[in-house]
Amino acid sequence: MSDELVQIETPFAFNEENQREFDELIGRYPIKEAAMLPTLHIAQRQAGYITPAVMKYVAEQLDVTVMKVKDVVTFYPMFFEEPVGEYVIRVCHTLPCALRDCKVVLDHLKAKLDTDIASETNLAKGTTADGKFTLMKVECLASCDVAPVIMINDDLYKNLTPEKVDEILDNL
Amino acid sequence: MVEERRILYEHLDVPDINTFDVFRQYDGYTRFEKAIAEYQPEEIAKMVLDSGLKGRGGAGFSTGEKWSFVPRDIEPRYLCCNADESEPGTFSNRYVLEKNPHLLIEGILICCYAMGIETTYVYIRGEFTLGKKMLDAAIKEAYEKGYLGKDVRGTGLNIDIYTHPGAGAYICGEETGLIESLEGKRGQPRNKPPFPAVEGVFRKPTVVQNVETLCNLPFIVGNGVEWYTQMGPTYADTRFDPPKPDANTGTKLYCISGDVNEPGVYELDLGLTCTELIEVAGGLRGEEVKAVIPGGSSAPILTHYELDTRLDFTSLTLAKSMLGSGGIIVMNETRNIVDCLLNIMKFYAHESCGQCTPCRWGTPWVRDIVQRIADGDGRKDTITRPKFGVAENGRWGDTGETEEIYEDLDLLESVANNIANVDTMTWNTICVFGIAVSWPAVSYMRKFRPEFEAAIREGKLVTLPVAEATIPPEENYAYQQRFIPKEFADL
Ligand SMILES: Cc1cc2nc3c(=O)[nH]c(=O)nc-3n(C[C@H](O)[C@H](O)[C@H](O)COP(=O)(O)O)c2cc1C
Ligand code: SF4
Ligand code: FES
Repeated sequence: MSDELVQIETPFAFNEENQREFDELIGRYPIKEAAMLPTLHIAQRQAGYITPAVMKYVAEQLDVTVMKVKDVVTFYPMFFEEPVGEYVIRVCHTLPCALRDCKVVLDHLKAKLDTDIASETNLAKGTTADGKFTLMKVECLASCDVAPVIMINDDLYKNLTPEKVDEILDNL
Repeated sequence: MVEERRILYEHLDVPDINTFDVFRQYDGYTRFEKAIAEYQPEEIAKMVLDSGLKGRGGAGFSTGEKWSFVPRDIEPRYLCCNADESEPGTFSNRYVLEKNPHLLIEGILICCYAMGIETTYVYIRGEFTLGKKMLDAAIKEAYEKGYLGKDVRGTGLNIDIYTHPGAGAYICGEETGLIESLEGKRGQPRNKPPFPAVEGVFRKPTVVQNVETLCNLPFIVGNGVEWYTQMGPTYADTRFDPPKPDANTGTKLYCISGDVNEPGVYELDLGLTCTELIEVAGGLRGEEVKAVIPGGSSAPILTHYELDTRLDFTSLTLAKSMLGSGGIIVMNETRNIVDCLLNIMKFYAHESCGQCTPCRWGTPWVRDIVQRIADGDGRKDTITRPKFGVAENGRWGDTGETEEIYEDLDLLESVANNIANVDTMTWNTICVFGIAVSWPAVSYMRKFRPEFEAAIREGKLVTLPVAEATIPPEENYAYQQRFIPKEFADL
C-alpha cells in the first residue's frame, strides 16, 4: 500500500480513553507486535471498520509494516474492511443450530430487514439501505444448547423463533 | 439412571459466585493455598501425572506427561489457556468463563506454581465478549486481593494473567495456531516438532491447556489423587508388560445438543454410554436415534449400532472415533446424513487456514462433491469392479465378488483420504485439521452409504429409515479398526 493511497483517508488516531487502554495493553507482551489483535479490536470499535488509515496507525504503534497489519486483518473474520451497519447481526448456521431450524430465523431476518446475507468480501450486500443493520452468517457460537442463536453486536440471543426475533429487533 | 456428579460445575449456579467473596465462601483459593503450603512444585506435577488427567480440549493427551516435557532450565516459561472454544457442538468453557471465572484463575495459579510460570495468557475467542468481561473483572479482583501480581500472598511468587481476544478464526484453537495468533500474526499452525512445551509462544517453553483441564487442578490438589482416580474407568493397556494403566479418570463436561429434549452441559464420570447420556439429557426428541457425533464435529460419526459405546478416551478410540472436545450431537430419524455432512464440510471449507495445499484445495473440493450430491447432481455413472471387503481369510481384501461403484462417492473418499488418510492415520498437512476434515467426510459416507447412494440414484436427497440408512458393522469396513493394535481389542 503506497503512502499516497493512505493519505486520501481521514487520518486516524486513538481517542484519549482508547490510548490509555492501548498503553496498558502494550506492557503485557515482550514484543509489541503481539498486541495486534487487541489493538485492532480497539481501533475497530473506535473507527467502525478497519480503513487503510487505521492500518497505518496501528502499524506505527506496533512498529510493524502496514502490510503485516493488512495480512492479519484479512485473516480474521471479525475485522471489517468495509463499513457495516450500526447493528451487526450474526446468525449461527452450523450443524447443532441447523438441527434446531436456524434457517427459519435467517429467512425471517432476511425478509424483515429486506436484505441479502453479507459475505466476507462483500459486506454491503448484507447491509440495509439505511445503514442500520448488517446481516451475516457465522459458524458455531458455542451456545448450541440454546440453539438457534444469533449475536447482535456483543449480545447473544437464545432459543430464537421468528416472533422472538421481532420482539428483539423492536426493542433495539 | 446415571447420576450427574457436579464437581467443576458444582457451584456454577450459586448467585454471585463470580465475585471473590462468594467464591471464597465455597472453598475458593483454599486449594491453591494448600498447594503452596504443603507441596513442592514437583510434587504437584507428580500428582497431576498420577491423577491420569487427560486434556479436555481435543487431543486428550495426558496433562502430567505434557508438563514433563517442559524444560525447567529455560526462562521465562508461559502458560496459554485455550478458551477459543470453537469446535461445533462444544459449549462448556463458556459457562466457566461467564459464571465461575475465579475457578479458572485458581487452576491457572496451581499450574503456574507447579511449572514455575510467571505469565499466563488466556486466549478467548472474540465472540465471548461477556466471558472476557467476567474473567477480566475476576482477574482484577484477584490482583486486589493479592492472589495475582508480585509476591503472591507473601510467597515470593510473581504471577500475571492477561486475557487476549481472538477474532473469529476456528483454527486459532489449534495450539500452535493459537500461539501464532497470540504473537500478533495470522493464526496459521506451525510444523511440529518442536512442540509448544519446548518452543512455544515467543519461542519459549509453553504449556497450552484447555479451560476445563485447568479447572480440574484445584480438585485434584484439594481432594487428592486417590479421590480423583476413583471416578471414571481405568483400563489396562496390554501392549506393555506389565500392563500399563490407561486412565480415563475424572468427570467430563459433556455438551449435548441436537435432537434431545434437554440439551445442555452435563457433568458426569467419564465412561457412560451414548444411550445413558441421551437419557440424562431428557431423552431423544424423536422416535429413533439415527446417528451420534461423539466429540465435536471433527469426530467420526457413530450409528445406531454403536450406541452402547462408552464415551471415554479409550473406548471411543477403539470405536475408531474420538472423545475430542466432548461435544455430542444427536440426530434422530428425520435427519439426512448427506445434508448434515454438507453443513459440516461448509464449516471446514470456511475455516481452513490455507497453508497446506491438500487442505486448502481438498476441503472445498470435498464440500463441492457433497453439495453436488445434495443438489441431486451426484455423478451417477456406475461401473462394475471387484468388490473389496472381508475376504475368506478374514482379512481385508478382494472378496471375489463384483460391485457397482458410484463415481462421486469414490472421489469423495479419495480426496478426503488425500488430505489425511483415516485408515493409516497419516496426513499430508501441517496440523490435524486435515484429519478433522477427512474423518467426518469418510465416516459419514461409509457408514451411511445407502443414503448417499440413494441421493445420487434418485437425483435428490432421500432420507431413509434408520434401519436402511446404515450397513451393519459386520459388513462395513468403516467399523474395522485397522490402525489400533490388536491387544487393545478385548477390553
Ligand atoms: C483444528 C483444531 C481446533 C482446536 N480447537 C480447540 C479449541 O477450540 N479449544 C481447545 O481447548 N482445544 C482445541 N484444540 C486442541 C488444541 O490443539 C490442544 O490440543 C489443546 O488446547 C491442549 O489442551 P488440553 O491438553 O488441556 O486439552 C484444537 C485442535 C485442532 C487441531
Ligand atoms: S491442515 Fe489446513 S488448517 Fe492445518 S495448517 Fe494446513 S491448511 Fe492450515
Ligand atoms: S451451532 Fe450454533 S451455537 Fe453451536
